[in-house]
Amino acid sequence: MTLALHVTGLKKAFGPTKIIRGVELQVARGERHAVIGPNGAGKSTLFHLISGRLPSDAGQILLHGQDITGLAPHDIFNRGLARSFQVTSLFPRLSVFENLRAAAMRTHGCGHAFWRRLEGFAPLRRRAEEVLSLLGLERRRDVLAGALAYADQRALEIGVTIAGGAETILLDEPTAGMSRAETERAVTLIRRVSEGRTLVMIEHDLGVVFGLADTISVLAEGRVIASGPPDQVRGDPAVRTAYLGAAAETLA
Amino acid sequence: MSAPAQTALARPQSGAALRAMLPWVLAALAALILPHVVPGGFGLSLLCRMGIAIVFALSFNMLLGQGGMLDFGHAVFLGLGGFLAMHAMKLADAGWWIPLPALPLVGAAGGLAVAILAGWVSTRRAGTAFAMITLGVAELVVAVVLLLPSVFGGEEGLSGDRSSGPPLLGVDFGTQIQAYYLIAAWAWAAALLMWLYTRTPLGRLANAIRDNPERVGFLGYDAARIRLLVFSLSGLFAGIAGGLAALNDEIVTAGNMSPEASSAVLVMTFIGGVGTFWGPVIGAVLITFLSVALSTVTDAWQLYSGLLFVAMVVWAPGGISGIILAHAPVVRAGFAGRLAPAYAAMLPGFFLALAGTLGLAELGFRLQSVRNGASPRPVFGMALDPQGVLPWVVAAILLLAGAWLLRRAAPAAREAWQEASVMAQVQ
Repeated sequence: MTLALHVTGLKKAFGPTKIIRGVELQVARGERHAVIGPNGAGKSTLFHLISGRLPSDAGQILLHGQDITGLAPHDIFNRGLARSFQVTSLFPRLSVFENLRAAAMRTHGCGHAFWRRLEGFAPLRRRAEEVLSLLGLERRRDVLAGALAYADQRALEIGVTIAGGAETILLDEPTAGMSRAETERAVTLIRRVSEGRTLVMIEHDLGVVFGLADTISVLAEGRVIASGPPDQVRGDPAVRTAYLGAAAETLA
Repeated sequence: MSAPAQTALARPQSGAALRAMLPWVLAALAALILPHVVPGGFGLSLLCRMGIAIVFALSFNMLLGQGGMLDFGHAVFLGLGGFLAMHAMKLADAGWWIPLPALPLVGAAGGLAVAILAGWVSTRRAGTAFAMITLGVAELVVAVVLLLPSVFGGEEGLSGDRSSGPPLLGVDFGTQIQAYYLIAAWAWAAALLMWLYTRTPLGRLANAIRDNPERVGFLGYDAARIRLLVFSLSGLFAGIAGGLAALNDEIVTAGNMSPEASSAVLVMTFIGGVGTFWGPVIGAVLITFLSVALSTVTDAWQLYSGLLFVAMVVWAPGGISGIILAHAPVVRAGFAGRLAPAYAAMLPGFFLALAGTLGLAELGFRLQSVRNGASPRPVFGMALDPQGVLPWVVAAILLLAGAWLLRRAAPAAREAWQEASVMAQVQ
């Protein structure tokens, strides 16, 4: 079986500080995979390396068996991997609808056309409408993204990530800063948008992680120290000492 | 979906398309009628300049307002487009069959070619680095133009005669009115094309790289490639403006692509407003009018347009179109009446400050010429001596008093505006 994502020996240092120290990560096609770990473990850096935002120092990243190491972000996207950002990264002066439409343009045959009307791309418009209703933002359709409430911006962040229909999706702390109710709404949304796709997400909220993930990888000090089904990871003694600590007591 | 539902969906769309085209129909009508309303040859040549400036400013805003790219050397594309068009005009003089109406196409080709070359370097970077590269490229191009007098005519530039080419359908474009209609037709068509472009995938991608170039990369697009394409198209339209300038002025010099020309288009675009498609049109019309009308009245007109620019940057960064756009919902909601008194209360201070500023500027400009031995020209019909103390004191007092009144009236105006805009939103 080809893995959706296969990371081997990945390393990244910023100056003398080694952030990623040889990460091994295997994500099976179609699974929901959570990456957890204490602050500073290198989770976001790992996402930056996989998505091409940062170049790695060593190691290899395979996407469905294809080597994507060292490719530019747009090349990686065009091979079927999309990502969201921990700090919301939208097009603030475009409307919600235009954000979604821009996000889906690449995969709906728009190219760089300046001789065809955007309105003429009917499947593109339908896709943007579809994601809009998936997000439950129909009533915010023509509001500028920069003027949205925080939770709505976070939802749109997910919408922009999935609008292009990428097979593999990386979500970087999709529920960060959300209230209980907002988190529940976000979890429902993530469950729906990851249907039939491969999802890798960084998440701090362990309730969300254990409720959503098929597999959990624990990142600590730049290495994956455990990876497996939630029950196995929960019982792993290395994980308990390295990360879960007091939280493990309450979960057990 | 059933057939009736489809037609029901199609109908509002065609209605919207008609509404969207209405301004273009009105603009065409205005362009047809204007020469018969505006008096004399002076007015006609002013209209021609406005048409050229509109195309130029709109092409500039493809970069600044729509794509977030500040080009400090945009006049280079106008200038080189103009030079190429002038060479074509000379070839027409020499007997080649190049009809005059096609000259802007030659300009477009010149602008496009140079923009691709310059953009190949500058569009690799965004933001400040991009702006600085455009500045360097502009200096470089002007230097090269002056270094090659055999191609660009050196300091004198190149001149030609637009009427000596082959007449088209009996029209030789020798008269200003014929040139006007040619320029108006081209300006209208170029503006329409630039507007249609804003509704294409590339047009929307330009907005996306303006707002957030990094995210565009994670949506499958190379931001640098988008910048290069947008930059090239913008150069093409600036080249059209250059072709129009060549056939209007019948001369092209290095001055057409000078840093002054590049900053002029920045000023008019910004004053008109970069946030809307039509803002630069207002700026082009206004600044062209001021530069032509004021320059006949005062030597200080550049100072005034500079002051207007600074005032806009500080108090109304959305430009004139931004002010209109912000007030439209308030007026539509019927709250204009609430704003009017508070705004009117600012007028005395405004006019006093304006009078003081004008007085100081005019006195200053006259002081220099009087020292050079000229007899003092009257200031607004008043025989004032710029070497005396009293006129300066009066002007300074006017300015200070005006500023004080403005400061006093401003909070009430701001409050009225906030109240009215909130109420308009609630409605």
